[in-house]
Amino acid sequence: MKYFISLFLLTLFLQANEAQAIIKKLEKNLRGDYMYSTMSMIVTSKRGKRTVKIESWSEGNDKSFIKILYPKKDKGITFLKIDNQMWQYIPKIERTIKIPPSMMLQSWMGSDFTNDDMVKESSLEEDYDAKLLSKKGNAATLELIPKEDAAVVWGKIIIDVDLKNAVPVKEIFYDDMMQKVRVMTFSKIERHGTHMVPMIMELKPLDSSKKKNSTKIIFDKVNFDAKIDPSYFTKQALKRYSR
Amino acid sequence: MLFSLAFRNIVKSKGRSIITLLLSTFTTMFFIVYVAFLDGSHHQFIKSSVEIYTGYAHVNLKEYRDDSSYDNLIEDANSIEQILKNDTTIKEYSPRFETYALLSGDEKSVGSMIVGIIPSREGSLSKLPSSLMKGEYLSDDDENVIYIGSELAKRLKVDIGSEIAMVGSSIDYSIAADLFTVKGIFKTGLFEFDSQSAFVNKTYLDTVMLSENIASYFTLNFHDNDQIDKMTANLDASLTLEYEAVNWKTLLSALVQAMLVDSIFNYISISIFFLVIFFVIMIFSYVNIYTRAREIGLLRALGLTSKDIFGMLLVEILILATVSIVVGTIIGASIAYYYELNPIVISGIAETYKEYGVVSDEIPMNFNLFTIAWNALTIFMLNLAAIVYPITKINKLTAMEAMRYV
Repeated sequence: MKYFISLFLLTLFLQANEAQAIIKKLEKNLRGDYMYSTMSMIVTSKRGKRTVKIESWSEGNDKSFIKILYPKKDKGITFLKIDNQMWQYIPKIERTIKIPPSMMLQSWMGSDFTNDDMVKESSLEEDYDAKLLSKKGNAATLELIPKEDAAVVWGKIIIDVDLKNAVPVKEIFYDDMMQKVRVMTFSKIERHGTHMVPMIMELKPLDSSKKKNSTKIIFDKVNFDAKIDPSYFTKQALKRYSR
Repeated sequence: MLFSLAFRNIVKSKGRSIITLLLSTFTTMFFIVYVAFLDGSHHQFIKSSVEIYTGYAHVNLKEYRDDSSYDNLIEDANSIEQILKNDTTIKEYSPRFETYALLSGDEKSVGSMIVGIIPSREGSLSKLPSSLMKGEYLSDDDENVIYIGSELAKRLKVDIGSEIAMVGSSIDYSIAADLFTVKGIFKTGLFEFDSQSAFVNKTYLDTVMLSENIASYFTLNFHDNDQIDKMTANLDASLTLEYEAVNWKTLLSALVQAMLVDSIFNYISISIFFLVIFFVIMIFSYVNIYTRAREIGLLRALGLTSKDIFGMLLVEILILATVSIVVGTIIGASIAYYYELNPIVISGIAETYKEYGVVSDEIPMNFNLFTIAWNALTIFMLNLAAIVYPITKINKLTAMEAMRYV
């Protein structure tokens, strides 16, 4: 009996360890020291379809600078994220405004992403305990439960992983009542330097009132190799790089 | 004969009768006044909430109340306006465009509700113009000026003439941003409302939000708000399927529920009072009847049946209860009527309870004949119920036992 219990515990430990290793590999692949990208964000809602073109610079996990290129009305609006804080510059009124915590759960640019999604630096590896649910060939399914002290909004994430390319295929987000809240799918994997990148990401909220909503992000350019000037990650950059 | 016997008993034992009369009169009066006061304060709470901003009824898209996002806006406000214009039961109406945006003073940014209103039409629909505290209220040709709540002004650290930046979302979800000058500051007394609301002339806000001919809802007021359920149902029937007309009972259902819960707790506390009154009347009647045991025994010996005795005592209490309840009701109803017309003023109550929606120091009572009738009937039944036990008890004694009773 003791033998079986030990074997069972060892299996659990190895499985957890393997799951944690998969997440680590995934994060390493998706995140470089620096990342420059341009992308189109297509937001579909009951009111119609809208495309926003974005240029983005980021350093590690906690610094990023975003500039809106299109539509013309929003061109030049910039966002700066440092750690958990977010500022926004609007050329029309020439003001830099810090987004207060009370607005963090509001939609970002009318998309299904919230301001909080844009600034959160939560790391799947650091903030969640991973458990391997299934593994078949190159496909694995993991369950991520937030660690007790992690400042995250999800109750659970179920993630399907393509082990060969170390990229996620599908992520299902649950709230703290363990109800499915949204699904994110990843497709069109491309190699960029040493990184494999899903060039299309689509987020669908599962709320019954938002059946028609979705936000699709299509990367145009991705570059992990060029170092990014630190001047991008200052409040002065918001106005300077807005033009 | 029973009646004359009962009447004689009442007149003969004056002290006993007066005490019974006073006890019932006071209970009736107290109950009527207490219920009128409770109902009055509840009505006052609701009236304040309805009249300050919400309004008596709304017309909106059916999904709007569950999800007030841009997905559920009235896209052709003019067509709704036309329907409301042709409805003769409606006194006044106005469209509103409500959105949430970030307001930013020189130092601080705060998320707030921004509402586009037609300033001249709000006067008879809400208390916005009359809640002006400082500066000026909006006018229909205003452009980028804003009318903000006193607590919001404090949070943003702004005053009349200060500049506020607004960053929100246009209805096409592009960024809507503009600079506004504070024209006026209002204080309604509703703390939440004063700390999270700002108003702009709708015609101008529409150019920023791209919301021309679009409204979140129409707020309206009927000529006869006492028949609001009927009026709302009629209006609802005249709208196309995707729209609905709802009145304040639905719009403020949380407040209505809270008032109901409060009433239930108040009725529980008053039932304890009733229980005490019930036992006082019962013990008093018990003692009364037993002091008359010999007399009752004599009546039985003279040939009265226990049924006759029961009838006699019941007529006695019926006479006393009727007189006292009539007197108590007249006094209680007069007090309720007087204080409905001349509300009680408790100075400072609005300041102390402002976060609960108390916006006036005046608390009128509610004079309602139906309520008064059931209050009086309750006390009457209580009086009758209290006498049943003592009468049954004395009737169990035989004539001899009763005559020997000390």
